[in-house]
Amino acid sequence: MAPALGSNFAALLSSLKALLPASSLILSDESQRPFECDGLAVYQQLPWVTVLPETLAQVQTILRLCNQHQVAVVPRGAGTGLCAGAMPLAEGVLLVLAKFDQILDIDLQTATARVQPGVRNLALSEAAEPFGLYYAPDPSSQIACTIGGNVAENSGGVHCLKYGLTVNNLLQVTMVTMAGELVTIGGEGLDQPGMDLLCLVAGSEGLLGVVVEIKVKLLPRAPRVQVLMAAYSKVSDAGDAVAALIGQGIIPAGLEMMDHLAIKAAEDFVKVGYPTDAQAILICELDGTDAEVEEQLQVVSQCFTDHGAYQIRIAQDAQEAAALWRGRKSAFPAIGRISPDYYCMDGTIPRNQVAYVLTRIGELSAQYGLAVANVFHAGDGNLHPLILFDASIEGQLAQAEALGGDILTLCVDVGGTITGEHGVGLEKMPQMPYQFSDAELAQFRRLKAAFDEADLLNPGKGIPTLKYCQEYRSLQHG
Amino acid sequence: MADLTSRLVEQVLQARAEHTPVHIIGGQTKAHLGRCPAPGSKPPMLLDMTEHTGVISYSPTELVIRARAGTKISDLNKVLAEQHQRLPFEPPTYNDQATIGGTVAASQSGPARPWYGAVKDSLLGLGLVNGYGEAMQFGGQVMKNVAGFDVTRLQAGAMGSLGVITEVSIKLLPQFNASHTLVFELEPQAALQRMQTWASQSLPISGVCYWQSQLYVRLQGGTSGVAEAAQQLSGQTLDAEVAQDFWQQVREHQLLVPQDDQTLWRWSGPANASLEVLPATQLINWAGAERWALAAEALAPSAGLCKYRGGDRQAEVNPALNAHDQALQRRIKQAFDPDGLFNAGRLYAWL
Repeated sequence: MAPALGSNFAALLSSLKALLPASSLILSDESQRPFECDGLAVYQQLPWVTVLPETLAQVQTILRLCNQHQVAVVPRGAGTGLCAGAMPLAEGVLLVLAKFDQILDIDLQTATARVQPGVRNLALSEAAEPFGLYYAPDPSSQIACTIGGNVAENSGGVHCLKYGLTVNNLLQVTMVTMAGELVTIGGEGLDQPGMDLLCLVAGSEGLLGVVVEIKVKLLPRAPRVQVLMAAYSKVSDAGDAVAALIGQGIIPAGLEMMDHLAIKAAEDFVKVGYPTDAQAILICELDGTDAEVEEQLQVVSQCFTDHGAYQIRIAQDAQEAAALWRGRKSAFPAIGRISPDYYCMDGTIPRNQVAYVLTRIGELSAQYGLAVANVFHAGDGNLHPLILFDASIEGQLAQAEALGGDILTLCVDVGGTITGEHGVGLEKMPQMPYQFSDAELAQFRRLKAAFDEADLLNPGKGIPTLKYCQEYRSLQHG
Repeated sequence: MADLTSRLVEQVLQARAEHTPVHIIGGQTKAHLGRCPAPGSKPPMLLDMTEHTGVISYSPTELVIRARAGTKISDLNKVLAEQHQRLPFEPPTYNDQATIGGTVAASQSGPARPWYGAVKDSLLGLGLVNGYGEAMQFGGQVMKNVAGFDVTRLQAGAMGSLGVITEVSIKLLPQFNASHTLVFELEPQAALQRMQTWASQSLPISGVCYWQSQLYVRLQGGTSGVAEAAQQLSGQTLDAEVAQDFWQQVREHQLLVPQDDQTLWRWSGPANASLEVLPATQLINWAGAERWALAAEALAPSAGLCKYRGGDRQAEVNPALNAHDQALQRRIKQAFDPDGLFNAGRLYAWL
C-alpha cells in the first residue's frame, strides 16, 4: 500500500482512483518493484504510486491533478535509460507510457512515421522495412527502448556521424505540460518560424513535458551495406586511422573502436573471430549504392593499412557482417560475464584526443585498482568506458563512481562533455557544475521554470538546483 | 579578427540599466526578414557584430569549425574549401555579406536542406550573451552532447530574440567529388509526383527544385555513385556551369524578388501537399517541402505560410499561435531576456 503522506496525497489518490481503471493504477510495493529503477540499477526507489494511463485525456488529467495537488511526476518509457533519469520518487507519481505503443501512420510519400511514445525503437524500423525504409537512430537498447524515451534522452546509436541523433530525425512532438496543456511542437514541414522548441524538447529528460505523440523521418535503406574490421597493435594507430579517414572525406555509416579488454571479453562471449591479441580494433560500416560503396571500400582499406592495421577483414556476406557487429553490440553483456558488476560511462571527446584519454583512463584504472574496458563510437567521439567492480565488496561501488567521475571531468578537460547520449539524470548531477558555470545552470533553471514553474516534473534530475551548486562549489574550494 | 565579447557584454548591461531596446545587426542582409515594428519612443541601441569576426578553431579531421558570430559565410566557405569541406546546410551568402551569426539566428538553409539538414542540425554549440549581460557557453565542439538543455539549437530561428550569439561551432562535411544536374520538362503535378517517388529511394540527391516548367535534380557525392544515379534517372543533363548558376540563384533567393507592392510568400510543409496550399506557386524547392509565390498582399499568414519579404511588415508575418503557445514562448523569452531588450517584435508583435 502507498505510504501515508500529506492530505494533498490522499486527495490526489482518491482522484486518481476515480479517473483510472484498477489495471492502470499500481499501489502495492510488490507490483511496483519492477519500476523501482531504470537501466542504472544502482539507483533504486519505490514510487509512491505508479500510473499506466491508456488515453491522452488521462495523461492530461493526471498531470493537471498532480499540478493542482503539488505532487511530483516522473515520466517513464521502457526504463532502459542509463542515468537514473526515470528513477521514481518516494513522494511522487511514476507515469508509465507503456500502453501508448501504437504506430499511427507510416507515410511513404513523405518517408515519415507518426508514433505513440511507447513504440519500441526497433519495432518502428521493422514496420517500415517492407517499404524499404528505416528509422536511423539505433541505440544499443533498440530492442527494448521506446521512441518516447529516445526523444527524452536525444538518443544516438552507432550511426550518428552520418545519420544524426534523435533530434536530427524529429519532425514533430506533441506533449503535455505539467499544467495538463497539450502543446504541439514542430510541424508537418521541415521548419517553423521562430525559436526551435523541437530541439529544446529533444534530450530534455522529461523535465519540460510528457511526450504523447512523435513524428519522425524515415530513411530509404541503402542498397548495399559493407562492414569491415581492422586490427591494430597500438591504440594510437587506430585513433590516427580514424582521423585520417575523415580527413580524406569519408563519412562511414558507422565507425566503432574497442580496446583490448573489450575485444577479449566480446570474443570469449560471442566468438565472432575478433583478434584477441589486438590492442584495438575498428569496425567500419559503409553504405550506399554498389558503386558508392565499392569506391569507399578501397579508400578505407588503404587508409587502415597505411595507419598500421596488421589485419583487415572485409565481411564477405551479410552473415559475416552481422557477426562483426554482434561482438560490438554484445560488449556490455560480455563485460557483465567477466565482472560481477560494471558501470558504463558516456563521455564525448574530440576524436583527436582518444589516444591521450585512453592512456589517462588506463592510469586512473591502475590508481583505483579497477579494470576499465573501452568501447568507443569513434566516428562521433562518444566514449563508453566500462568500469569493472564488485558491489558486494564494501566500498567498491563508491570507488567505481569516483573513478567514473574522474573520467567525466577528464572528458570535459579535453574539450568534450560528460554525456554524449545517456543523459544527466540523477547520476551525472555532480559533474554538471564542472561542465557549466553558475550563470549557465541558472539559465537552465529559468528555462525549466518557463515550462514547469513549481518544479514538479522529474525534479532533482538533469539540472542541479542552486543549493546543489553552492554545496558543490564550497566542497571544491573547501 | 577580434573578440569583442566583453564589449558586447558591457553594451548589453548598459542597455539594461537604461532600458534601451537592443537591435542586433551583422551584415544587414536579413533586414527584410521578420517584422519591422514601428519605432518606439526610445531609439534602439544598435549592437553591431560586424567587427566580432574570425575563426576561433578549425580542425578538419574533427569536422568542426568554431567562429565568431560576425564572420562572413563567404569567408567560412573559403577556409573550408581549402580543406575540401563544406557547410552542410548550404546557406545563402547574400553578396558575401551574410554572417554566420545571422544565418543561425534566421535559420537559413539552402537547397540541400532536406538531405543534409538545416542550420540546427549542424549546430554543435554556441556562445550567447543573455539579457542579464551574462556571457555563456552551451553545447560544445563534439558531435554528441546531451548535458543540459539544448540552448544551442533553440537559437536557430529565434531571430536574436533570446540573446546575442557571440560564436558558433558547426559540424562540417567533406565536399562532394562529383556533381550532376538533370532537368525534366514536366507539368507541376507530375513534377510533385516524381519528387515523391525519389523520396523513398536511396539516391545521392542534394537538391530538387521546380521552376518554370522544369524539374531540376542535383546529384552530388562520389564520382561513381553520381554517375550511376544519373544514368538511372535519365533526364537531360544540364551544363555544369549553367547548373551551378541555377543552384546559386535558388540558394541566394534571386529567382523571386518582390517589386513595389508585391509580397513574397513562403510555404513550408509536407512535401506531398497538394499544389493548392499556395495559390499560384512559382517555385518549388526542397523536393516539395518549400514553395514560393509572388503576390499582391491578398493572402494572410496561416499554417506553414509566412510573409517572407515585402508587404506590410508592421503586421504579423508569421502564422498566429494559440494562447498557450504564445504564453509559453513569452515565458521562454523572459527566461533569457527579462527586460525584453533583444529584437523586440521582430518575430511576433507580442514577443
